[in-house]
Amino acid sequence: MAKPRVAFFEFSDCEGCQLCALDLTPEQLLDLVSVVDIVEFREAMTEKAGALDDHGDGTDSIDVAFIEGSINRESDVARLKRIRERASIVVALGACAHIGGINALKNFQSEEEYRKAAYPTDPYKYESTTAKAIGEFIKVDAVIPGCPIDTGEFLHVVKDLLVGHKPQVPDYPVCVECKLKENGCVYEKGMHCLGPVTRAGCGARCPSNGGYCYGCRGLISKPNIASQQDIMQKYNLNEDEMLSKFKMFLQRSKEVFPDDK
Amino acid sequence: MPYVYHIKQHSKNRLQKISASENLSMFKQRRIVIMTAETLLISKQRLISSMDAAKSNYRIAALTKTNDDRYVYDYIGKGDDIEFEYHPTVIPPKKFLFLSKETLFEFSDDGKIKSELETTPTILFGIRPCDLNAIKILNEAFADHHGDPNYLARLEKTLVIGMECTKVCDEHAFCYRTGSQNAKGGYDIMLYPDGDNFAVKSVTDKGKKFVTKYLTKHTANIGADDFINEVLKKKEQAFSKEKLFPNLDKMPEIFAANSHHPIWEQEGSKCLSCGSCIMTCPTCYCFDVRDEVALNMQHGKRQRVWDGCMLDTFAVVAGGANFRGSQTDRLHHRINRKFNWLVHKHGQSVCVGCGRCVRACLAKISPKTIGDAILADAKLATATVDVPLDAHKADRDLYLPMPAKIVACESFTEQEKHFKLELENGKSLGHDAGQFVQISILGVGEAPISLASPPDNTPTFDICVRKVGDVTNKLHTMNVGDTVHVRGPFGHGFTPEIMEKMRGKHLLFIAGGIGYVPLRSLINQVVANQHDYEKITILYGCKTPSERMFPKELSHLAKIGGKISIAETVDQAEEGWTGNVGVITTLIPPIDLDPTNTIAVIVGPPIMYKFVLKSLTDKHITADNIYVSLERRMKCGVGKCGHCQMSGIYVCQDGPVFKYADIKDNEEVF
Repeated sequence: MAKPRVAFFEFSDCEGCQLCALDLTPEQLLDLVSVVDIVEFREAMTEKAGALDDHGDGTDSIDVAFIEGSINRESDVARLKRIRERASIVVALGACAHIGGINALKNFQSEEEYRKAAYPTDPYKYESTTAKAIGEFIKVDAVIPGCPIDTGEFLHVVKDLLVGHKPQVPDYPVCVECKLKENGCVYEKGMHCLGPVTRAGCGARCPSNGGYCYGCRGLISKPNIASQQDIMQKYNLNEDEMLSKFKMFLQRSKEVFPDDK
Repeated sequence: MPYVYHIKQHSKNRLQKISASENLSMFKQRRIVIMTAETLLISKQRLISSMDAAKSNYRIAALTKTNDDRYVYDYIGKGDDIEFEYHPTVIPPKKFLFLSKETLFEFSDDGKIKSELETTPTILFGIRPCDLNAIKILNEAFADHHGDPNYLARLEKTLVIGMECTKVCDEHAFCYRTGSQNAKGGYDIMLYPDGDNFAVKSVTDKGKKFVTKYLTKHTANIGADDFINEVLKKKEQAFSKEKLFPNLDKMPEIFAANSHHPIWEQEGSKCLSCGSCIMTCPTCYCFDVRDEVALNMQHGKRQRVWDGCMLDTFAVVAGGANFRGSQTDRLHHRINRKFNWLVHKHGQSVCVGCGRCVRACLAKISPKTIGDAILADAKLATATVDVPLDAHKADRDLYLPMPAKIVACESFTEQEKHFKLELENGKSLGHDAGQFVQISILGVGEAPISLASPPDNTPTFDICVRKVGDVTNKLHTMNVGDTVHVRGPFGHGFTPEIMEKMRGKHLLFIAGGIGYVPLRSLINQVVANQHDYEKITILYGCKTPSERMFPKELSHLAKIGGKISIAETVDQAEEGWTGNVGVITTLIPPIDLDPTNTIAVIVGPPIMYKFVLKSLTDKHITADNIYVSLERRMKCGVGKCGHCQMSGIYVCQDGPVFKYADIKDNEEVF
């Protein structure tokens, strides 16, 4: 059987999730390249699959496209759609591609505000619009959530795709994994945590290391936002503070911010 | 304060000589009693050093404090690491017997399967009564009907040393409400603490052997019974202000009568479905099963992981239907497991009041609040679920599938494909009509599939698979000569008793869509023995003509005539269809039947049952003469994992075939 042809692409992001995908032991890397053919990966290789298009991407068809980053420019949309056409399976890699990531924080500002903040000397020189997740433009077959992604989960998704399994990321909250780690509840330590509505899969990394959940993996399918708000209120968080908790990663989540931008 | 005696241990021979001599001094008598005692006294320091001595043969798990000051049950390095004062833990000690993640078996890409069971002797030290009651309940649950090989192997190697509580541990615990502050079982040895001294009482042979080997040195039995009585008296005083739930002895009946109590919605609406309660519960034992392959794709393992009914997707079947879609439904299910359905089975409240779920729940949903609200109401219903415990020894092969080769296959539609499988061991599956098997594709997973062929003595059997999930999608890509793996047959099908009841009757089969497949195993059995029945009427409804299963067989059945008649309908006609158009219930009124001599069998999508059952009632067929086959999510197939449970009944074990009369009053059924 021919090895699946795999490619990586990035839009607006820090490229950290691609680094995580490469953060493998030598054995893992050898195993990975023994089961897949990496044909395009700007961060790791110069080759492209096929003749170049006007975005600098290859043009050959690919089996799996891992796409990192949020979409912030009209011109990105065309490129994104081109990648979709080339790929049988599209996987959103990391929070930016999955839910807009922290890039979407700018959506709480006016266009003028964020342009001035980013390019103070010539605010309108570059293209820049609302930050959006890739799933708002194209069909996404699987997601690897997180800021950054978990390398183990990346390998999981690769294996799922190889055995013909629909890639599974948990659809239950971080609390499940936090309890398994036998952590005391973050709220009892005087912090406020989005764990009860955030998709697990990170092994409750932040709450297990003295922090709290920022919601980087996005909401579960059916979050009880009203109850989450009641709890934060009960633990003395006022409405503004509560909103700023949700703003960090969840701007694109209609359950929290129903007014679309 | 009783004394702790330091007395020299004698050899067995010496003891026999002493006991054989007639004139024993008091001193010598005492020594003999010590060597055979079930109760004795020991100081904390001696107890710790005894545990250090036992460490050469056992790993020891006990309450201990982590570097960052959390209290957890964990394996200890030395006896001094044991925390003797109880502090509630997040996760109960059940984790040592029922691991949060464990391997059921390993497989390789050549189809070879191997499994290893636990062999390390382990001591669970200082387990409190709430958790001991929980261990008793788990021991019973994992041996019930089928002996779970992994759990029971671990239990066999484990010695449980309990420790009495002499006060309520905190404001969240409510063991006293459920009567769980005293252990009804689940331990080999009990420690009764008073300051730095302990009475030790062993209640099992395993416990007595351990005490004899490790604890009798430097101990005394004199006054041990009095010591225990003193400890228990103090405990009684400490708990004297705390009350049992009102009407505790009628819990199942009262909960059965209160499924619509406002408390369910009031508490359920707050639920985050975060799973904290089920992860921390000492008596939750539901699990999910997943295959994990190595990155090189050459080998993998099938693992089970903790799962629980409070999570949103727990009761979702491959087709997408969620049988408990709201938080309130799920809370009702979980609490009824604890306070209603399983109570008769275990002879005690299955919630042991440890308070872990309450401590963990940010919305502060508590079984205590719910119990107080509902049990104050003395309204009674007849509790419908009363399935007694049926203890079994470990079944080594319970989760190990057998290889089977695809010997024939045919696609009926884009979605449905028929396979004939042959067991590689050459044996017959030995199933009843209506039963199911678990089909495995190693690396992808396992899915429950109805058997489509009648019972026979050959090693082949039929299944018909709709492409809805990972396993079934993969199966559709497979062809003659490929190997799958099979466990089963499972469940309660059309047993010889039901077949006997059907003899001489008019049989009315009503199938919707893919529901014809499980019914086919029965229809073919009955048609082959048609002289045994008065009449056989088959009603079959599909969405469109192209979705009919086994179309060639259907036309063959139509041609047989005589006592066999078949009527079909479709929701939407297609070109070439000259038959009925309309819902299946339109086929029922015209049938000529004597309700006292008719048995109806219904298999179809969930939505169909309500309407068909009404039409049959209009025809005066009673619930005793109606059989249904129900769909639920099934993972283990052997009544353990909890996914298919509805109102205390495991569909995989007590069903999928049910007499309608037996389930019509169960609120989670339709």
